[in-house]
Amino acid sequence: MISFALMLSLVVNQGYAPARPAVDPLDQTREKRVMRLGKKFRCAVCQGVAISDSPASMARAQLDKVRELVAEDKTDDEIETYFVARYGEWVLLDPRKEGLNAFLWVGPLMLLVAGLVIIMSQVKKKAATAPVPVEAPVSDDFLAQVRADLEK
Amino acid sequence: MNAQLEKMSAPGPGRRYGVIAFAVVSAGFLLFVLARLMFAEAFVGKAYDPHAVPFMMEGKPAPLFSMKDLRTGELVNLKDYIGRPIVLNFWATWCGPCKMEHPVLEWAQRQYKDDVVFIGIVFEDNEENTKKFLLENGGSWRQLYDPKSTVAVDYAVAGVPETYFIDKRGTIVGKYAYPIDPKTITTRIEEILK
Repeated sequence: MISFALMLSLVVNQGYAPARPAVDPLDQTREKRVMRLGKKFRCAVCQGVAISDSPASMARAQLDKVRELVAEDKTDDEIETYFVARYGEWVLLDPRKEGLNAFLWVGPLMLLVAGLVIIMSQVKKKAATAPVPVEAPVSDDFLAQVRADLEK
Repeated sequence: MNAQLEKMSAPGPGRRYGVIAFAVVSAGFLLFVLARLMFAEAFVGKAYDPHAVPFMMEGKPAPLFSMKDLRTGELVNLKDYIGRPIVLNFWATWCGPCKMEHPVLEWAQRQYKDDVVFIGIVFEDNEENTKKFLLENGGSWRQLYDPKSTVAVDYAVAGVPETYFIDKRGTIVGKYAYPIDPKTITTRIEEILK
């Protein structure tokens, strides 16, 4: 049993990074900033998980980088620029709303407005050209005959 | 009466063009969104790979560092090697593919050691594991220890193994984010030797 457990531990341990040396957290306010910023960046080896939410060693490394930059009194923008310069905008879990991305935000609104304009113009035109309902006189002899037969 | 009905429902030419234009714009917008979602990498000029992490450091100066040599303990500065082509390999003993590529690096190092600097950077591992691995598996090129992985993040590492190719001017020519094979390493080294 013990040998099985040992073997299992050998297999399980393969492929995992060893516990990393503990990193001293910063003071409370700055550590809060680290965690807030950590929520903004995507972990490089995870599937859409923020670096402050992932236990992956890569995420820990990225979070340590945030901590280091915060300790150097870098602004939020500077820290964001640092990550974007390396991993592209892919790293931002909330992408910037500018350039082509802005189109994704403004586009549907523009289409909605355009659709409304088209609908309004059609409704208006229809109202303007709507014919006055007229009682059409029955002039069909066959139809008159049928009606007369039915009433018999 | 029929003629009247037809007249009522027939759209005028202006109205018809408006509707068509609206449909075309809507379809175009949908296609654009879908394309951006599905082929995100195509927008940055890379082959589509859902797991690929964009790499923006190509053509940028290699971030400088000074780190401890695992064997000798001396401080190694990258600055001292600028002027020669550099092969920078991020790896770890816990990473299976790194073990696979180790002999390839060993071979390439023997082939090119006169012209190219080989540097290994140990990622998220401890000194003890690494020293043991190197004793068992060989590997005579410099191995540096990056205890907090700060250098790895500086280089935009997105997992191990990753091999960076730096030219004589200290510019990152590219990285290979898979276990490297003899053919790839030869081609990439020839590129930075130019």
